[in-house]
Amino acid sequence: MAAPMELSCWGGDWGLPSLHPESLTVMAYAKFSGAPLTVNTINNPWRAPKADVPALISEDIIISQPAKILSFLRKQKYNADYQLSAKQGADTLAYIALLEEKLLPALLHTFWIEAENYCNVTKPWFASRIAFPLSLYLPGKMSREALNRITLTKGGPPLYSLTEVEAQIYRDAKECLNLLSKRLGTSQFFFGDTPTTLDAFVFGFLAPIYKVCFPRVQLQDHLKQLPNLCRLCDDILTCYFRLTVSGHSPAGQDTADANLQKLTQLVNKESNLIEKMDDNLRKSPQHPPRKLTTLKLAAGGEESSPLNRLSP
Amino acid sequence: ASLCFQAFLQMCNLPVRVVCRANAEYMSPSGKLPFIHVGNQVVSELGPIVQFVKAKGHSLSDGLDEVQKAEMKAYMELVNNMLLTAELYLQWCDDATVEEITHPRYGSPYPWPLNRILSYQKQWEVRRKMKAIGWAGKTLDQVLEDVDQCCQALSQRLGTQPYFFNKQPTELDALVFGHLFTILTTQLTTDELSEKVKNYSNLTAFCRRIEQQYFEGHDKDSSATVTARSAKRSLLR
Repeated sequence: MAAPMELSCWGGDWGLPSLHPESLTVMAYAKFSGAPLTVNTINNPWRAPKADVPALISEDIIISQPAKILSFLRKQKYNADYQLSAKQGADTLAYIALLEEKLLPALLHTFWIEAENYCNVTKPWFASRIAFPLSLYLPGKMSREALNRITLTKGGPPLYSLTEVEAQIYRDAKECLNLLSKRLGTSQFFFGDTPTTLDAFVFGFLAPIYKVCFPRVQLQDHLKQLPNLCRLCDDILTCYFRLTVSGHSPAGQDTADANLQKLTQLVNKESNLIEKMDDNLRKSPQHPPRKLTTLKLAAGGEESSPLNRLSP
Repeated sequence: ASLCFQAFLQMCNLPVRVVCRANAEYMSPSGKLPFIHVGNQVVSELGPIVQFVKAKGHSLSDGLDEVQKAEMKAYMELVNNMLLTAELYLQWCDDATVEEITHPRYGSPYPWPLNRILSYQKQWEVRRKMKAIGWAGKTLDQVLEDVDQCCQALSQRLGTQPYFFNKQPTELDALVFGHLFTILTTQLTTDELSEKVKNYSNLTAFCRRIEQQYFEGHDKDSSATVTARSAKRSLLR
């Protein structure tokens, strides 16, 4: 039980510990059950055992799929489900199957197949975390695998074109989200007050949709209309991952971040200008520096107040 | 799968006549079996058929509340995900079964060499699909373990009730009955799959109860041939 366990998985962004749904599920379960896992984010998938992510390494055993990792953790006595009845355990399996059948295709599509999302967000993000030259090949491979999976499982006739398949999978995903929301209702977690395996899986699938800022966001918009699911994700993030989640919606946080960035840039520009002015002043000592800075401040307008705080 | 539909239609009290055709897959609008032919309309696959029947005013799940409907859909996905995939795996990816049973059955309506070509094509297609969802790396034992887990979940959900949602049968009951009955009655090279199901006595009792209630209402002869034929047909999937 005391054997050290290491989890290698994809890293995170946008307030999430990982962007990969399966990695998130395992991390969440580990937090819920109190399993001591050291998390190694992947920077070099060549080294990841069998290039299968996420992978749990304990002593010499390497285990790779979330379901297997979770049952290994349970065997090591890290069990988040011990309070569940047999029927609730059965319900867990059923809902996980629902997630995999109905929600996963749309999730894969949003990340890997939707052209704008893939080119602007997913590919650069993953490529930045993979060593060259694999970064040229691996994101493309993951995208092709996702497309393959969707067309083989969902793309049979009468859906002949990719647009029809896409329409169908998004319909299924929205229905799945509605069903989950109804099942969750007003309780804190799916089975009462303590989170279980099902909460880990739901969190793993929903959090990337909820938090990642994509250009094309139809699934995210739908999810935001289901406040109890959003609350579940936020609760898990704040309680178990100790990450600061502001009360704003991701769009609000985005604009706040953008504003902060603009502000910082303006402040930097102003301080550079002031330094130049100071240099000029030193060369021509007759003009008192104060006057010039007041002139500068007057011209600044809204940047004036942070400037006041920043400049000595 | 054909048995699921028959059970469902019987439960809705709709009369149904079963016909076997070799070109059934081509007659179906979606290429998938089975399909129903009602008046001018042809509808295939469980989801659309259920909706079609509902539109005509018969529905089995009206008495359920929202949470129960969500549960029912989740369990139906579980059955599709686990049992259906396991059946496909056993038919097409387990070499012994493929050689002895599936290839001859699937190719039987066609002359040589068409029978071999078509069955190899189907096998290749199924194996591709298994690879895409990650089942290609599974051994037969792992697949059987998954089936066991699924049956355990179904058994726990059923408990001692007559149907999954207590008094009234629903689409879920039809689906589960179809799959379990097929597993229990079809001859394969090994009996391991049916043994797994037989471990759960409430599931076997459930199958027997539905069979008696909905299928033995007809003539004994026709129901026997119907079940035998549909058992064969589901292997042709």
